[in-house]
Amino acid sequence: MAAGKYKKAFLEPLGKDNPVFVQILGICSTLAVTNKLDNTMVMVIGVMFTTALSSWTISLMRKAIPDRIRMMVETLVIATYVIIVDIFLKAYYPEMWKQLGPYVGLIITNCIVMGRIEAFALQNKPLLSLVDGLASGMGYAYVLLIIAFFRELMGTGTLWGYQILGSWWTSWAIMIMPPGGFFMLAIFIWVVREAVFKEEANE
Amino acid sequence: MKTKSFYAKRIHPLVFMALVTIVCIVLTAALHLYTLELVEENEQFFLWRSILDAAAITHDGTPSNVVQIFNEFVTDEGDRYVINTDDGIKRYVFASDGPGLWGTISVMIGFEEDLNTFSGVSIVSQTETPGLGARIEEPWFTAQFAGKQGPFRVVEEGTASSDDEMDGITGATRTSESFRNIMNRLLESDKVGRGQ
Repeated sequence: MAAGKYKKAFLEPLGKDNPVFVQILGICSTLAVTNKLDNTMVMVIGVMFTTALSSWTISLMRKAIPDRIRMMVETLVIATYVIIVDIFLKAYYPEMWKQLGPYVGLIITNCIVMGRIEAFALQNKPLLSLVDGLASGMGYAYVLLIIAFFRELMGTGTLWGYQILGSWWTSWAIMIMPPGGFFMLAIFIWVVREAVFKEEANE
Repeated sequence: MKTKSFYAKRIHPLVFMALVTIVCIVLTAALHLYTLELVEENEQFFLWRSILDAAAITHDGTPSNVVQIFNEFVTDEGDRYVINTDDGIKRYVFASDGPGLWGTISVMIGFEEDLNTFSGVSIVSQTETPGLGARIEEPWFTAQFAGKQGPFRVVEEGTASSDDEMDGITGATRTSESFRNIMNRLLESDKVGRGQ
């Protein structure tokens, strides 16, 4: 029974309860950082770290937090973890930190982080919340990486900075600008809902 | 539901919040202080590396190598850096900046001894659109100024040939023009003192 609960907490955010294409959370960062794979990778690692650990921390404190100030405590805990990520990158991966600039700080405003705390961590045990937070981060991560793959490939003809498509390819500038993010996200949600969820409904 | 005491209703949340805040601040402040030296070293490394790049002095990109070359060849004269190498090469590097499309673009601009010919340009910081304007950081873009004299006008990407032409970036016209302005403004300024 206990194992089943962990499995459910882990698998649901990856599939039928995915934060991005089902709950439509975290859209702002989906649009902002997905124009290059390397930016996206650092962003999603930061989000995974933050959702997992802040869910765990809040869950540890859940019985002690006075109800009327719980949002403030949540924000503070999230901000602390984000600043830790920011300082860590600044000290040990300065090139990456320079490239990402303000995006790291914006993890604080990622609705997935607070969404999982409010919806899950406040009612569940620490370890289970950690799994749920991590899985939500991963559900967010793979969607962003898929979108970034197509945006970078079509927008600049490169992947991870390496030239993939030859000179015959005309880069679609629109793909690396914010509107390209809207188009790719919409197409992605459409494909997933048509192909995967419709089949499930028919069965 | 029982009515809560004044303490539970008003004081306890305040105390709890203060405690959480203190713990969070101590954690982040400790981490900040612990990495402070490393962060400062990184910043200095980036600055020195861009000065060497603008002066077209070769280095292997590692912090130790950059620091060593910088200490050996470069003197800071306040408004400019003077580079004197063992081979008798003398170059000048000026720090400059100007507004880009989103924020300030800071650059290092290097000149040969005659103060007329560019030896190179490097970007210190910029916040242009990733994949479009941010391509000013790509080597082909910064390398195009070496050996030219300006002042520049922007032409279509990949077509610049003469001394007063610079390649723009397709899809980032505004950034290209801002960059041209930064270059041309330095040429006209007293700092370079062209024609004196």
